[in-house]
Amino acid sequence: MKLLGFSRVVKRDKTWFFLLLPAIAYFLLFFAYPVYNLFYNSLTTQSGTITSQNFSYLLKDPYLPTVLWVTLLYVIGAVGLEMLAGISLAIIAQNLASKVRGALQIITILPLMIPPVIVGLMFLLLYDTNYGPIDFFLRSLGLPAVNWLGSTNLALLSVILADVWRYSPFVFLIIFAALQSVPSHLYEAAMLEGPSRWQMFRHVTLPMIRPALVVALLLDTIGVLKGFDLIYVLEGGGPGLATTVLSYYIYIWGFVYNNPHVAAALSILFLAIVLLIVGVTIKFTKIEEYLGLKRK
Amino acid sequence: MNVSKLIVIIISAAFFIYFLFPIYWTFVTSIKQSVDIFSYPPIFFPSKPTFENYYAPSQEFGAVSLTALNSIPYMVSSFAVGIITTIAGTFLIGAPAAYSIVRYAKGGKVFSRMILFMIMVPAAAFIIPFFQIVIHLHLIDTWWGLSLSYLSFTVPFATWMMMGYFYDIPVEVEEAALVDGVSRMRAFYDVAMKMVVPGLTATSILGFITCWNEFLYALILTFSPYNFSFPPVGSQTVPVFISSFVVIEKSFAWGGLAAAGLFTALPSIILGLYAQKYLARGLTLGAVKG
Repeated sequence: MKLLGFSRVVKRDKTWFFLLLPAIAYFLLFFAYPVYNLFYNSLTTQSGTITSQNFSYLLKDPYLPTVLWVTLLYVIGAVGLEMLAGISLAIIAQNLASKVRGALQIITILPLMIPPVIVGLMFLLLYDTNYGPIDFFLRSLGLPAVNWLGSTNLALLSVILADVWRYSPFVFLIIFAALQSVPSHLYEAAMLEGPSRWQMFRHVTLPMIRPALVVALLLDTIGVLKGFDLIYVLEGGGPGLATTVLSYYIYIWGFVYNNPHVAAALSILFLAIVLLIVGVTIKFTKIEEYLGLKRK
Repeated sequence: MNVSKLIVIIISAAFFIYFLFPIYWTFVTSIKQSVDIFSYPPIFFPSKPTFENYYAPSQEFGAVSLTALNSIPYMVSSFAVGIITTIAGTFLIGAPAAYSIVRYAKGGKVFSRMILFMIMVPAAAFIIPFFQIVIHLHLIDTWWGLSLSYLSFTVPFATWMMMGYFYDIPVEVEEAALVDGVSRMRAFYDVAMKMVVPGLTATSILGFITCWNEFLYALILTFSPYNFSFPPVGSQTVPVFISSFVVIEKSFAWGGLAAAGLFTALPSIILGLYAQKYLARGLTLGAVKG
Protein backbone atom coordinates (compact mmCIF):
# COMPACT_ATOMS: atom_id res chain seq x y z
CA MET A 1 0.00 0.00 0.00
CA LYS A 2 1.24 3.43 -0.94
CA LEU A 3 0.39 5.05 2.35
CA LEU A 4 2.39 2.42 4.24
CA GLY A 5 5.29 2.99 1.85
CA PHE A 6 5.30 6.66 2.77
CA SER A 7 5.19 5.97 6.46
CA ARG A 8 7.98 3.37 6.18
CA VAL A 9 10.27 5.87 4.46
CA VAL A 10 9.82 8.25 7.35
CA LYS A 11 9.77 5.76 10.19
CA ARG A 12 12.44 7.43 12.29
CA ASP A 13 11.29 10.87 11.30
CA LYS A 14 9.39 12.98 13.82
CA THR A 15 7.75 15.38 11.36
CA TRP A 16 4.37 13.77 12.01
CA PHE A 17 4.69 14.77 15.65
CA PHE A 18 5.55 18.40 14.95
CA LEU A 19 2.62 18.66 12.55
CA LEU A 20 0.33 17.22 15.19
CA LEU A 21 1.74 19.30 18.04
CA PRO A 22 -0.59 22.34 17.66
CA ALA A 23 -3.57 19.99 17.57
CA ILE A 24 -2.37 18.17 20.69
CA ALA A 25 -1.97 21.48 22.52
CA TYR A 26 -5.40 22.47 21.29
CA PHE A 27 -6.88 19.18 22.47
CA LEU A 28 -5.42 19.54 25.97
CA LEU A 29 -6.48 23.18 26.39
CA PHE A 30 -9.86 23.17 24.68
CA PHE A 31 -11.15 19.70 25.25
CA ALA A 32 -9.37 17.81 28.02
CA TYR A 33 -9.17 20.82 30.33
CA PRO A 34 -12.82 21.90 29.87
CA VAL A 35 -13.97 18.35 30.64
CA TYR A 36 -11.77 18.33 33.76
CA ASN A 37 -13.13 21.78 34.64
CA LEU A 38 -16.71 20.48 34.36
CA PHE A 39 -16.00 17.57 36.69
CA TYR A 40 -14.21 19.88 39.12
CA ASN A 41 -17.05 22.40 39.15
CA SER A 42 -19.74 19.79 39.46
CA LEU A 43 -18.01 18.08 42.39
CA THR A 44 -17.28 21.19 44.47
CA THR A 45 -19.21 23.89 46.28
CA GLN A 46 -18.75 27.63 46.04
CA SER A 47 -16.06 27.46 48.76
CA GLY A 48 -14.19 24.67 46.96
CA THR A 49 -14.98 21.71 49.20
CA ILE A 50 -15.67 18.36 47.58
CA THR A 51 -19.34 17.44 47.48
CA SER A 52 -21.88 15.39 45.61
CA GLN A 53 -24.67 17.83 46.38
CA ASN A 54 -24.87 19.24 42.83
CA PHE A 55 -25.75 15.86 41.40
CA SER A 56 -28.05 14.91 44.25
CA TYR A 57 -29.78 18.26 43.78
CA LEU A 58 -30.42 17.39 40.12
CA LEU A 59 -31.91 14.04 41.12
CA LYS A 60 -34.66 15.82 43.04
CA ASP A 61 -34.85 18.94 40.88
CA PRO A 62 -38.60 19.26 40.14
CA TYR A 63 -37.92 21.02 36.81
CA LEU A 64 -35.37 18.64 35.29
CA PRO A 65 -37.89 15.96 34.17
CA THR A 66 -39.89 18.66 32.37
CA VAL A 67 -36.73 20.03 30.75
CA LEU A 68 -35.72 16.57 29.52
CA TRP A 69 -39.25 15.96 28.23
CA VAL A 70 -39.29 19.29 26.37
CA THR A 71 -35.85 18.48 24.92
CA LEU A 72 -37.09 15.09 23.73
CA LEU A 73 -40.23 16.58 22.15
CA TYR A 74 -38.14 19.27 20.47
CA VAL A 75 -35.71 16.72 19.01
CA ILE A 76 -38.42 14.31 17.86
CA GLY A 77 -40.60 17.07 16.39
CA ALA A 78 -37.88 19.05 14.66
CA VAL A 79 -35.81 16.10 13.43
CA GLY A 80 -38.92 14.21 12.29
CA LEU A 81 -40.29 17.12 10.28
CA GLU A 82 -36.88 18.08 8.91
CA MET A 83 -36.11 14.55 7.71
CA LEU A 84 -39.59 14.27 6.18
CA ALA A 85 -39.42 17.65 4.43
CA GLY A 86 -35.78 17.23 3.36
CA ILE A 87 -36.23 13.75 1.90
CA SER A 88 -39.49 14.65 0.10
CA LEU A 89 -37.90 17.76 -1.31
CA ALA A 90 -34.88 15.78 -2.53
CA ILE A 91 -37.11 13.24 -4.28
CA ILE A 92 -39.23 15.99 -5.83
CA ALA A 93 -36.14 17.89 -6.94
CA GLN A 94 -34.95 14.85 -8.87
CA ASN A 95 -38.04 15.06 -11.07
CA LEU A 96 -37.67 18.76 -11.80
CA ALA A 97 -36.20 20.37 -14.87
CA SER A 98 -32.53 21.12 -14.22
CA LYS A 99 -33.04 24.90 -14.22
CA VAL A 100 -35.78 24.75 -11.58
CA ARG A 101 -33.69 22.30 -9.60
CA GLY A 102 -30.71 24.66 -9.70
CA ALA A 103 -32.88 27.53 -8.49
CA LEU A 104 -34.25 25.36 -5.69
CA GLN A 105 -30.73 24.45 -4.58
CA ILE A 106 -29.73 28.11 -4.43
CA ILE A 107 -32.89 29.10 -2.55
CA THR A 108 -32.49 26.36 0.03
CA ILE A 109 -28.98 27.61 0.81
CA LEU A 110 -30.37 30.93 2.06
CA PRO A 111 -32.10 29.65 5.25
CA LEU A 112 -28.97 27.67 6.12
CA MET A 113 -26.67 30.66 5.77
CA ILE A 114 -28.72 33.29 7.59
CA PRO A 115 -27.52 33.52 11.24
CA PRO A 116 -30.04 31.68 13.45
CA VAL A 117 -30.55 34.79 15.56
CA ILE A 118 -31.70 36.63 12.43
CA VAL A 119 -33.95 33.68 11.57
CA GLY A 120 -35.47 34.15 15.03
CA LEU A 121 -36.03 37.82 14.28
CA MET A 122 -37.65 36.95 10.95
CA PHE A 123 -40.07 34.56 12.62
CA LEU A 124 -40.91 37.14 15.29
CA LEU A 125 -42.14 39.33 12.44
CA LEU A 126 -44.07 36.45 10.87
CA TYR A 127 -45.68 35.24 14.11
CA ASP A 128 -46.72 38.71 15.29
CA THR A 129 -50.32 38.48 16.50
CA ASN A 130 -51.34 42.01 15.56
CA TYR A 131 -49.58 42.80 12.30
CA GLY A 132 -48.07 39.47 11.20
CA PRO A 133 -48.88 37.87 7.84
CA ILE A 134 -49.56 34.36 9.23
CA ASP A 135 -52.43 35.50 11.37
CA PHE A 136 -53.70 37.63 8.53
CA PHE A 137 -53.99 34.52 6.36
CA LEU A 138 -55.66 32.55 9.14
CA ARG A 139 -58.17 35.33 9.74
CA SER A 140 -58.93 35.80 6.05
CA LEU A 141 -59.73 32.09 5.94
CA GLY A 142 -62.14 32.68 8.80
CA LEU A 143 -59.93 30.91 11.32
CA PRO A 144 -59.21 32.37 14.76
CA ALA A 145 -55.96 34.24 15.30
CA VAL A 146 -53.33 32.16 17.06
CA ASN A 147 -51.04 33.33 19.83
CA TRP A 148 -48.03 31.47 18.43
CA LEU A 149 -45.36 32.57 20.84
CA GLY A 150 -47.34 33.38 23.96
CA SER A 151 -49.34 30.21 24.43
CA THR A 152 -47.82 27.38 26.46
CA ASN A 153 -49.21 24.74 24.11
CA LEU A 154 -47.93 26.27 20.89
CA ALA A 155 -44.62 27.80 21.97
CA LEU A 156 -42.53 24.69 21.29
CA LEU A 157 -44.31 24.08 17.99
CA SER A 158 -43.55 27.65 16.91
CA VAL A 159 -39.85 27.13 17.60
CA ILE A 160 -39.93 23.77 15.81
CA LEU A 161 -41.56 25.30 12.72
CA ALA A 162 -38.90 28.01 12.57
CA ASP A 163 -36.20 25.36 12.95
CA VAL A 164 -37.78 23.31 10.15
CA TRP A 165 -37.65 26.30 7.82
CA ARG A 166 -34.04 26.87 8.68
CA TYR A 167 -32.78 23.32 8.71
CA SER A 168 -34.76 21.07 6.37
CA PRO A 169 -32.47 22.37 3.57
CA PHE A 170 -29.63 20.68 5.45
CA VAL A 171 -31.30 17.28 5.08
CA PHE A 172 -32.33 18.14 1.53
CA LEU A 173 -28.80 19.02 0.35
CA ILE A 174 -27.26 15.86 1.84
CA ILE A 175 -29.94 13.48 0.55
CA PHE A 176 -30.09 15.21 -2.83
CA ALA A 177 -26.32 14.88 -3.30
CA ALA A 178 -26.63 11.18 -2.45
CA LEU A 179 -29.53 10.66 -4.89
CA GLN A 180 -27.53 12.36 -7.65
CA SER A 181 -24.61 10.03 -7.10
CA VAL A 182 -26.58 6.79 -7.57
CA PRO A 183 -25.14 5.43 -10.85
CA SER A 184 -27.80 5.37 -13.56
CA HIS A 185 -26.79 1.91 -14.79
CA LEU A 186 -28.23 0.53 -11.54
CA TYR A 187 -31.64 1.90 -12.45
CA GLU A 188 -31.28 0.67 -16.02
CA ALA A 189 -30.37 -2.84 -14.85
CA ALA A 190 -33.29 -2.88 -12.39
CA MET A 191 -35.71 -1.71 -15.08
CA LEU A 192 -35.26 -5.07 -16.82
CA GLU A 193 -37.14 -6.70 -13.93
CA GLY A 194 -40.11 -4.35 -14.48
CA PRO A 195 -40.33 -3.07 -10.88
CA SER A 196 -42.97 -0.73 -9.48
CA ARG A 197 -41.87 2.74 -8.40
CA TRP A 198 -41.91 1.70 -4.75
CA GLN A 199 -39.88 -1.48 -5.45
CA MET A 200 -37.36 0.59 -7.35
CA PHE A 201 -37.03 2.99 -4.42
CA ARG A 202 -36.95 0.24 -1.80
CA HIS A 203 -34.43 -2.06 -3.49
CA VAL A 204 -32.24 0.26 -5.59
CA THR A 205 -32.36 3.82 -4.27
CA LEU A 206 -32.70 3.21 -0.54
CA PRO A 207 -29.64 0.96 -0.12
CA MET A 208 -27.57 3.46 -2.07
CA ILE A 209 -28.59 6.49 0.00
CA ARG A 210 -28.60 4.75 3.38
CA PRO A 211 -25.22 6.23 4.42
CA ALA A 212 -26.53 9.73 3.66
CA LEU A 213 -29.71 9.04 5.65
CA VAL A 214 -27.70 7.89 8.67
CA VAL A 215 -25.43 10.93 8.45
CA ALA A 216 -28.35 13.35 8.08
CA LEU A 217 -30.27 11.76 10.95
CA LEU A 218 -27.31 11.82 13.36
CA LEU A 219 -26.18 15.33 12.51
CA ASP A 220 -29.69 16.75 12.55
CA THR A 221 -30.37 15.14 15.92
CA ILE A 222 -27.18 16.56 17.42
CA GLY A 223 -27.81 19.89 15.69
CA VAL A 224 -31.28 20.21 17.21
CA LEU A 225 -29.95 19.14 20.62
CA LYS A 226 -27.39 21.95 20.39
CA GLY A 227 -30.15 24.43 19.52
CA PHE A 228 -30.18 27.58 21.60
CA ASP A 229 -30.35 30.69 19.41
CA LEU A 230 -33.91 30.38 18.10
CA ILE A 231 -35.28 29.58 21.54
CA TYR A 232 -33.43 32.51 23.10
CA VAL A 233 -34.75 35.01 20.57
CA LEU A 234 -38.27 33.67 20.09
CA GLU A 235 -39.25 32.48 23.55
CA GLY A 236 -36.52 32.86 26.16
CA GLY A 237 -37.35 29.38 27.42
CA GLY A 238 -40.93 30.28 28.26
CA PRO A 239 -43.79 30.58 28.71
CA GLY A 240 -43.06 28.72 31.95
CA LEU A 241 -40.76 25.89 30.96
CA ALA A 242 -42.50 25.27 27.64
CA THR A 243 -39.35 25.82 25.55
CA THR A 244 -36.63 25.27 28.15
CA VAL A 245 -34.44 22.63 26.52
CA LEU A 246 -31.29 21.25 28.12
CA SER A 247 -28.99 23.81 26.41
CA TYR A 248 -31.12 26.63 27.69
CA TYR A 249 -31.38 25.17 31.18
CA ILE A 250 -27.58 25.01 31.44
CA TYR A 251 -27.38 28.66 30.38
CA ILE A 252 -30.00 29.63 33.00
CA TRP A 253 -28.13 27.85 35.81
CA GLY A 254 -24.77 29.18 34.72
CA PHE A 255 -25.54 32.75 33.78
CA VAL A 256 -28.91 33.70 35.25
CA TYR A 257 -28.72 31.88 38.60
CA ASN A 258 -24.89 32.25 38.50
CA ASN A 259 -24.40 28.72 39.78
CA PRO A 260 -21.59 27.13 37.71
CA HIS A 261 -21.65 24.01 39.91
CA VAL A 262 -25.16 22.83 39.06
CA ALA A 263 -24.65 24.06 35.49
CA ALA A 264 -21.50 21.89 35.27
CA ALA A 265 -23.40 18.85 36.58
CA LEU A 266 -26.05 19.47 33.90
CA SER A 267 -23.31 19.85 31.27
CA ILE A 268 -21.91 16.45 32.20
CA LEU A 269 -25.38 14.96 31.82
CA PHE A 270 -25.62 16.67 28.41
CA LEU A 271 -22.21 15.35 27.30
CA ALA A 272 -23.20 11.85 28.44
CA ILE A 273 -26.38 12.00 26.33
CA VAL A 274 -24.43 13.14 23.25
CA LEU A 275 -21.72 10.51 23.86
CA LEU A 276 -24.43 7.86 24.10
CA ILE A 277 -26.08 8.92 20.83
CA VAL A 278 -22.76 9.07 18.96
CA GLY A 279 -21.57 5.80 20.54
CA VAL A 280 -24.73 3.93 19.55
CA THR A 281 -24.43 5.29 16.01
CA ILE A 282 -20.78 4.20 15.76
CA LYS A 283 -21.69 0.76 17.11
CA PHE A 284 -24.63 0.04 14.81
CA THR A 285 -23.69 1.89 11.62
CA LYS A 286 -20.52 2.60 9.66
CA ILE A 287 -20.79 6.30 10.42
CA GLU A 288 -17.01 6.87 10.49
CA GLU A 289 -16.66 5.40 7.02
CA TYR A 290 -19.65 7.37 5.76
CA LEU A 291 -18.06 10.57 7.02
CA GLY A 292 -14.69 9.72 5.48
CA LEU A 293 -12.96 9.66 8.85
CA LYS A 294 -11.78 6.15 8.12
CA ARG A 295 -10.65 4.65 4.84
CA LYS A 296 -11.28 1.02 4.00
CA MET B 1 -49.75 18.87 -19.72
CA ASN B 2 -50.69 15.92 -17.57
CA VAL B 3 -51.87 15.84 -13.99
CA SER B 4 -48.68 14.54 -12.37
CA LYS B 5 -46.67 17.29 -14.05
CA LEU B 6 -49.11 19.86 -12.69
CA ILE B 7 -48.78 18.43 -9.20
CA VAL B 8 -44.98 18.65 -9.42
CA ILE B 9 -45.26 22.31 -10.48
CA ILE B 10 -47.66 23.14 -7.65
CA ILE B 11 -45.51 21.41 -5.04
CA SER B 12 -42.32 23.06 -6.20
CA ALA B 13 -44.03 26.46 -6.32
CA ALA B 14 -45.18 25.85 -2.75
CA PHE B 15 -41.61 25.08 -1.69
CA PHE B 16 -40.28 28.21 -3.40
CA ILE B 17 -42.84 30.35 -1.58
CA TYR B 18 -42.19 28.55 1.70
CA PHE B 19 -38.46 29.20 1.61
CA LEU B 20 -38.59 32.70 0.15
CA PHE B 21 -41.54 34.28 1.92
CA PRO B 22 -39.90 34.79 5.36
CA ILE B 23 -36.95 36.50 3.64
CA TYR B 24 -39.28 38.57 1.46
CA TRP B 25 -41.36 39.60 4.46
CA THR B 26 -38.27 40.72 6.38
CA PHE B 27 -37.09 42.68 3.36
CA VAL B 28 -40.49 44.34 2.88
CA THR B 29 -40.56 45.24 6.58
CA SER B 30 -37.12 46.81 6.25
CA ILE B 31 -38.24 49.15 3.45
CA LYS B 32 -41.56 50.15 5.04
CA GLN B 33 -42.24 53.38 6.82
CA SER B 34 -43.18 52.70 10.40
CA VAL B 35 -46.85 53.57 9.80
CA ASP B 36 -46.95 50.82 7.23
CA ILE B 37 -45.30 48.30 9.54
CA PHE B 38 -47.99 48.76 12.18
CA SER B 39 -51.03 48.54 9.97
CA TYR B 40 -53.74 45.97 9.60
CA PRO B 41 -54.31 44.31 7.20
CA PRO B 42 -50.55 43.91 6.69
CA ILE B 43 -49.07 45.55 3.60
CA PHE B 44 -47.41 43.09 1.26
CA PHE B 45 -46.33 45.60 -1.38
CA PRO B 46 -45.50 48.96 0.20
CA SER B 47 -46.51 51.86 -2.05
CA LYS B 48 -43.91 54.25 -0.66
CA PRO B 49 -40.78 52.21 0.01
CA THR B 50 -37.94 53.88 1.91
CA PHE B 51 -34.37 52.87 2.54
CA GLU B 52 -34.07 55.03 5.63
CA ASN B 53 -33.89 51.93 7.82
CA TYR B 54 -30.60 51.12 6.16
CA TYR B 55 -28.73 54.39 6.35
CA ALA B 56 -30.60 57.12 8.26
CA PRO B 57 -29.75 57.61 11.95
CA SER B 58 -33.44 57.29 12.83
CA GLN B 59 -34.53 58.04 16.38
CA GLU B 60 -38.26 57.77 15.80
CA PHE B 61 -38.74 55.21 18.56
CA GLY B 62 -36.55 56.97 21.06
CA ALA B 63 -33.48 55.35 22.49
CA VAL B 64 -34.32 51.81 21.37
CA SER B 65 -34.14 52.42 17.67
CA LEU B 66 -31.55 51.42 15.14
CA THR B 67 -30.64 51.25 11.48
CA ALA B 68 -28.40 48.89 9.58
CA LEU B 69 -25.52 51.35 10.05
CA ASN B 70 -25.56 50.78 13.81
CA SER B 71 -24.39 47.21 13.28
CA ILE B 72 -21.05 48.19 11.74
CA PRO B 73 -18.92 48.06 14.93
CA TYR B 74 -20.38 44.63 15.67
CA MET B 75 -19.69 43.48 12.13
CA VAL B 76 -16.03 44.51 12.55
CA SER B 77 -15.82 42.28 15.64
CA SER B 78 -17.58 39.37 13.93
CA PHE B 79 -15.22 39.75 11.00
CA ALA B 80 -12.07 39.94 13.13
CA VAL B 81 -13.03 36.92 15.23
CA GLY B 82 -13.97 34.95 12.12
CA ILE B 83 -10.61 35.70 10.47
CA ILE B 84 -8.50 34.99 13.57
CA THR B 85 -10.33 31.72 14.20
CA THR B 86 -10.23 30.59 10.58
CA ILE B 87 -6.50 31.24 10.16
CA ALA B 88 -5.57 29.56 13.43
CA GLY B 89 -8.06 26.70 13.16
CA THR B 90 -7.56 25.81 9.50
CA PHE B 91 -3.98 26.73 8.63
CA LEU B 92 -2.06 26.45 11.89
CA ILE B 93 -3.84 23.57 13.63
CA GLY B 94 -6.31 21.70 11.43
CA ALA B 95 -4.46 21.21 8.15
CA PRO B 96 -1.11 20.07 9.68
CA ALA B 97 -2.95 17.65 11.97
CA ALA B 98 -5.00 16.28 9.08
CA TYR B 99 -1.86 15.79 7.00
CA SER B 100 -0.12 14.03 9.86
CA ILE B 101 -3.06 11.68 10.44
CA VAL B 102 -3.50 10.88 6.74
CA ARG B 103 0.13 10.54 5.60
CA TYR B 104 1.73 8.99 8.63
CA ALA B 105 -1.25 6.80 9.56
CA LYS B 106 -0.79 7.46 13.27
CA GLY B 107 -3.50 7.22 15.87
CA GLY B 108 -5.93 5.41 13.62
CA LYS B 109 -9.32 4.77 15.15
CA VAL B 110 -8.70 6.82 18.30
CA PHE B 111 -8.12 10.08 16.42
CA SER B 112 -11.11 9.69 14.15
CA ARG B 113 -13.39 8.95 17.11
CA MET B 114 -12.03 11.93 19.00
CA ILE B 115 -12.64 14.24 16.04
CA LEU B 116 -16.15 12.90 15.63
CA PHE B 117 -17.01 13.39 19.28
CA MET B 118 -15.42 16.84 19.47
CA ILE B 119 -17.53 17.98 16.54
CA MET B 120 -20.64 16.75 18.31
CA VAL B 121 -20.00 18.56 21.62
CA PRO B 122 -22.80 21.09 22.18
CA ALA B 123 -21.57 24.62 22.90
CA ALA B 124 -23.91 24.78 25.90
CA ALA B 125 -21.97 21.99 27.63
CA PHE B 126 -18.75 24.02 27.42
CA ILE B 127 -19.97 27.52 28.34
CA ILE B 128 -18.98 27.12 32.00
CA PRO B 129 -15.37 26.00 31.33
CA PHE B 130 -14.81 28.51 28.53
CA PHE B 131 -16.19 31.37 30.58
CA GLN B 132 -13.85 30.46 33.45
CA ILE B 133 -10.84 29.96 31.15
CA VAL B 134 -11.37 33.27 29.35
CA ILE B 135 -11.91 35.13 32.64
CA HIS B 136 -8.75 33.52 34.04
CA LEU B 137 -6.72 34.63 31.00
CA HIS B 138 -8.13 38.19 31.32
CA LEU B 139 -9.46 37.90 27.79
CA ILE B 140 -13.14 38.48 28.55
CA ASP B 141 -14.83 40.78 26.03
CA THR B 142 -11.90 40.62 23.60
CA TRP B 143 -11.60 39.24 20.08
CA TRP B 144 -8.92 36.84 21.35
CA GLY B 145 -11.07 35.34 24.09
CA LEU B 146 -13.98 34.71 21.76
CA SER B 147 -11.65 33.30 19.10
CA LEU B 148 -10.27 30.80 21.62
CA SER B 149 -13.74 29.45 22.30
CA TYR B 150 -14.48 29.31 18.55
CA LEU B 151 -11.46 27.08 18.01
CA SER B 152 -13.40 24.40 19.88
CA PHE B 153 -15.57 23.82 16.82
CA THR B 154 -13.39 25.09 13.94
CA VAL B 155 -10.40 22.82 14.68
CA PRO B 156 -12.18 19.44 14.60
CA PHE B 157 -14.21 20.57 11.60
CA ALA B 158 -11.15 21.79 9.68
CA THR B 159 -9.17 18.66 10.55
CA TRP B 160 -11.95 16.45 9.27
CA MET B 161 -12.47 18.47 6.08
CA MET B 162 -8.75 18.56 5.31
CA MET B 163 -8.35 14.82 5.97
CA GLY B 164 -10.70 14.24 3.05
CA TYR B 165 -8.67 16.50 0.77
CA PHE B 166 -5.31 14.99 1.75
CA TYR B 167 -6.66 11.47 1.17
CA ASP B 168 -7.53 12.56 -2.37
CA ILE B 169 -4.11 13.81 -3.50
CA PRO B 170 -1.54 11.30 -4.78
CA VAL B 171 1.35 10.60 -2.45
CA GLU B 172 3.82 10.20 -5.38
CA VAL B 173 4.29 13.94 -5.85
CA GLU B 174 5.50 14.36 -2.28
CA GLU B 175 7.66 11.23 -2.55
CA ALA B 176 9.28 12.66 -5.67
CA ALA B 177 9.99 15.86 -3.75
CA LEU B 178 11.51 13.85 -0.91
CA VAL B 179 13.77 12.04 -3.38
CA ASP B 180 14.90 15.45 -4.64
CA GLY B 181 16.13 16.12 -1.12
CA VAL B 182 13.34 18.36 0.14
CA SER B 183 12.74 18.13 3.90
CA ARG B 184 9.51 16.53 5.08
CA MET B 185 8.24 19.79 6.51
CA ARG B 186 8.82 21.42 3.12
CA ALA B 187 7.06 18.50 1.41
CA PHE B 188 4.04 19.38 3.51
CA TYR B 189 4.12 23.18 3.20
CA ASP B 190 5.38 23.58 -0.37
CA VAL B 191 4.00 20.50 -2.09
CA ALA B 192 0.97 19.04 -0.30
CA MET B 193 -0.56 22.35 0.88
CA LYS B 194 -0.41 23.73 -2.67
CA MET B 195 -2.38 20.77 -3.97
CA VAL B 196 -5.20 21.23 -1.48
CA VAL B 197 -5.79 24.96 -2.02
CA PRO B 198 -9.44 24.40 -3.08
CA GLY B 199 -9.94 22.39 0.10
CA LEU B 200 -8.37 25.10 2.23
CA THR B 201 -10.64 27.68 0.59
CA ALA B 202 -13.79 25.65 1.18
CA THR B 203 -12.82 24.86 4.77
CA SER B 204 -12.00 28.50 5.52
CA ILE B 205 -15.24 29.81 4.05
CA LEU B 206 -17.45 27.31 5.85
CA GLY B 207 -15.54 27.85 9.09
CA PHE B 208 -15.87 31.60 8.75
CA ILE B 209 -19.64 31.37 8.18
CA THR B 210 -20.00 29.19 11.27
CA CYS B 211 -18.13 31.82 13.32
CA TRP B 212 -20.12 34.68 11.82
CA ASN B 213 -23.41 32.99 12.77
CA GLU B 214 -22.38 31.71 16.22
CA PHE B 215 -24.34 33.06 19.15
CA LEU B 216 -24.03 31.26 22.49
CA TYR B 217 -20.29 31.68 23.16
CA ALA B 218 -20.50 35.30 21.98
CA LEU B 219 -23.44 35.88 24.32
CA ILE B 220 -21.46 34.91 27.42
CA LEU B 221 -18.00 36.15 26.37
CA THR B 222 -18.64 39.59 24.82
CA PHE B 223 -20.37 42.65 26.25
CA SER B 224 -19.44 45.92 24.59
CA PRO B 225 -19.20 47.20 21.01
CA TYR B 226 -15.81 47.60 19.35
CA ASN B 227 -14.83 51.27 19.68
CA PHE B 228 -12.50 51.48 16.67
CA SER B 229 -9.40 51.91 18.81
CA PHE B 230 -6.15 50.00 18.61
CA PRO B 231 -5.40 47.80 20.48
CA PRO B 232 -9.04 46.82 20.08
CA VAL B 233 -11.44 47.34 22.98
CA GLY B 234 -14.89 45.74 22.97
CA SER B 235 -15.86 42.66 20.99
CA GLN B 236 -19.62 42.14 20.88
CA THR B 237 -20.64 40.34 17.69
CA VAL B 238 -23.60 40.87 15.40
CA PRO B 239 -25.92 38.10 16.67
CA VAL B 240 -25.55 39.30 20.28
CA PHE B 241 -26.26 42.88 19.22
CA ILE B 242 -29.41 41.96 17.27
CA SER B 243 -30.69 39.60 19.98
CA SER B 244 -30.17 42.22 22.70
CA PHE B 245 -32.42 44.61 20.82
CA VAL B 246 -35.17 42.02 20.67
CA VAL B 247 -34.80 40.31 24.03
CA ILE B 248 -33.38 42.91 26.41
CA GLU B 249 -34.48 46.26 24.96
CA LYS B 250 -37.78 44.77 23.77
CA SER B 251 -37.47 47.15 20.85
CA PHE B 252 -40.33 47.52 18.40
CA ALA B 253 -38.20 49.28 15.80
CA TRP B 254 -39.00 46.42 13.44
CA GLY B 255 -37.98 48.32 10.32
CA GLY B 256 -34.49 49.03 11.61
CA LEU B 257 -34.15 45.53 13.06
CA ALA B 258 -35.19 43.91 9.78
CA ALA B 259 -32.74 46.12 7.88
CA ALA B 260 -29.90 45.37 10.29
CA GLY B 261 -30.77 41.65 10.22
CA LEU B 262 -30.65 41.35 6.45
CA PHE B 263 -27.60 43.59 6.15
CA THR B 264 -25.60 41.55 8.66
CA ALA B 265 -26.71 38.23 7.15
CA LEU B 266 -25.31 39.24 3.74
CA PRO B 267 -21.67 38.15 4.31
CA SER B 268 -22.81 34.61 5.21
CA ILE B 269 -25.22 34.45 2.31
CA ILE B 270 -22.68 35.67 -0.25
CA LEU B 271 -19.94 33.35 1.00
CA GLY B 272 -22.41 30.45 1.18
CA LEU B 273 -23.49 30.93 -2.42
CA TYR B 274 -19.85 31.23 -3.48
CA ALA B 275 -18.95 27.99 -1.72
CA GLN B 276 -22.10 26.24 -2.93
CA LYS B 277 -20.45 23.22 -4.50
CA TYR B 278 -18.54 22.39 -1.31
CA LEU B 279 -21.60 22.76 0.86
CA ALA B 280 -23.01 19.22 0.81
CA ARG B 281 -19.62 17.90 1.90
CA GLY B 282 -19.03 20.57 4.55
CA LEU B 283 -22.50 20.26 5.99
CA THR B 284 -22.03 16.59 6.63
CA LEU B 285 -19.76 17.44 9.48
CA GLY B 286 -20.66 20.37 11.57
CA ALA B 287 -20.39 23.35 9.23
CA VAL B 288 -22.91 26.09 9.85
CA LYS B 289 -25.06 24.55 12.54
CA GLY B 290 -23.09 25.61 15.60
